[in-house]
Amino acid sequence: MKEKNHKRRRSGPGRAMVSAVMLFFFLAFFLLFLQDFNWQSLALALIVPVIILFGSFGISRLFPADTLLLSLVNFLCALGVLVLYRLSPERGLTQALNYGVGVAAMIGCTLLIRYMPSFRFVNWAFMLGSVALLALPLLIGTERNGANSWITFGGRSFQPSEIVKIALLISMAHMLAKRKVILTMGFAAVCVLVLAVQNDFGTALLYFGTALVLGYAATGSVLLVGAGVGGAGAAVVLGNMIMPERFARAMSRVNVWLDPWQDVQGAGYQIVQGLIAMANGGLWGVGLGAGNATVIPEHYNDFIFAVIVNEFGMIFGLLVVLMYAFIMIRGIMIARNARTLFHALLATGCAAMIALQVFVIIGGNIKLIPLTGITLPFISYGGTSLVSSLCIIGIMQGVAARSEAGVNEDRELAMQGGGLK
Amino acid sequence: MSGEAYELLAMLMRYVFVALGVVILLRAARQLQKDARAHKKEMKRLPDAGLIGEVVDLDTGKSQPLPREGLMGSGGGCDIRLKRRGVRRRHVLFEFVEGKGLKIKPHFGSKVAMEGVEIKAPAYALHGTNVTLGNAHIRIRLFAGLNVPNPAAFQMDVQPMYGEEEMVYADVPQPFEQVPQAMPVQMPVSRMPWDDAISPDEAVQQPGPQMPGQMAVPALEEEMPEDYVPYASPVVRHRRSERR
Repeated sequence: MKEKNHKRRRSGPGRAMVSAVMLFFFLAFFLLFLQDFNWQSLALALIVPVIILFGSFGISRLFPADTLLLSLVNFLCALGVLVLYRLSPERGLTQALNYGVGVAAMIGCTLLIRYMPSFRFVNWAFMLGSVALLALPLLIGTERNGANSWITFGGRSFQPSEIVKIALLISMAHMLAKRKVILTMGFAAVCVLVLAVQNDFGTALLYFGTALVLGYAATGSVLLVGAGVGGAGAAVVLGNMIMPERFARAMSRVNVWLDPWQDVQGAGYQIVQGLIAMANGGLWGVGLGAGNATVIPEHYNDFIFAVIVNEFGMIFGLLVVLMYAFIMIRGIMIARNARTLFHALLATGCAAMIALQVFVIIGGNIKLIPLTGITLPFISYGGTSLVSSLCIIGIMQGVAARSEAGVNEDRELAMQGGGLK
Repeated sequence: MSGEAYELLAMLMRYVFVALGVVILLRAARQLQKDARAHKKEMKRLPDAGLIGEVVDLDTGKSQPLPREGLMGSGGGCDIRLKRRGVRRRHVLFEFVEGKGLKIKPHFGSKVAMEGVEIKAPAYALHGTNVTLGNAHIRIRLFAGLNVPNPAAFQMDVQPMYGEEEMVYADVPQPFEQVPQAMPVQMPVSRMPWDDAISPDEAVQQPGPQMPGQMAVPALEEEMPEDYVPYASPVVRHRRSERR
């Protein structure tokens, strides 16, 4: 009976919202079916809305979940599958499979955070394991797009830094909740350093930003943030002096960002093509399946936002950005409602990581900041990235479920009398 | 479908997609707002949500709500703020541990005393424990229904809780005198108090006359039967959390 009441009280998206999401993907896949009468597209037009229906309402009945967060994430994941399917059906179907794996991982993370009483005994294992996993590509890694951050195992390649994100968030939140600020910042600095050595500056920036946000959230100290920024600046200057060849790639990206038109056919080609594609799309886009954004290098990965703007338009691109903003706001709401500092910091870290990742990659696409090779959460092609992003959402869900259980406990206590002894 | 027809249809559909995107976003925004309001309302209904009691400042008489965990000190970011001489910006870390009490840990060698005993390592405070931070004197008051040991019972079971941390338990004053676990004193029942006036020593040694319906009570000096069990109340008091 208690559980029933608990479910009834849980908020969720209205039928109108889920119906709109289902209709969106039915129409989109049906439109693709009309383009070449591929039965696969028609099958997806029928299957994807059903999966969305299950994802929005079904999952929350199986385990405690924030259904609004789930619906927004479902929309973005399905958008990723749609855009990738339109660009390359093979990639679209692989992404759909990755999404399934990601949902299972998300449920696992939710249950872990909801029911794990403490991370005290696993924290050191998480920390040491994270550093070891991050350093692994230096020994057996393969290089892609200049970054030596990939490991190929059994014919499949993955980035350890995507997996380490989860351990990093949990460890940092745990240590900051115990006021071990110096140890936390030291751990984050080691991770950032290892990534910088691998030339993976995008992920390093992401880790660095998240550590600063968490440090500020835990201590409220501007001095700490200043020291972090100053330390990072000094490390960049020192690194540039000691290993100029390592930083040459980063410096070239800054130069390309400042003036991509200087070398349109060379280093600036990707950014210029991305800008042209977005400008070509205009406010309303050229229409699904009618764009030619495939000329952009890494269009399925780093530049997928340019593809979306090209085909759906800038207004729709803005709506996508707002959806990420809503996910971040929801994350902050979950953090505010959390009952312990650890859970509050965990939810803050998750929201900050997603927001930073979106800012860095979309900012790079629209030439707001220098371009770094990271994925757009939930949308870009890549199994590890999608699974880790869904794990982050799972962590947020776990914190929300824990807070809700706590409020239920308080409610019951209040109904029984409460008061001081 | 021909290329031109498809292009025309795709161009038409882009407005539909944007419209659906706007609907999704508006509904999500409304839901966010609704949830925020519902949470605010719920918190108004449950003003003690997330709290475990209060901290009474014995110097000023004012009390502050006590959350499950946090910091005590004079700094602005502290959960329990005590602006007093001798209180550091971050003085004490505290955390409520189910079944044990409020764990109090001095922050980087801050001076903390519980019931006048200075603590160097984490210690547990219970309902009514007095804590001194610098020149500030506070009393911890915990909500009824929380799963914490009774101060009297707790006093009898002093042993380290964690293997890795040396725990110190303050000398918690007993609310009542401890009754030694011994045979209950059986008072004789006499017909009239003034009839058989006997000395108290005799009264203890001699069993009184048996009243109708009264069970025979053995005298203290007599040999007790082996199967004798002292009276124990069948009513067991459960804490609220245990009942759940």
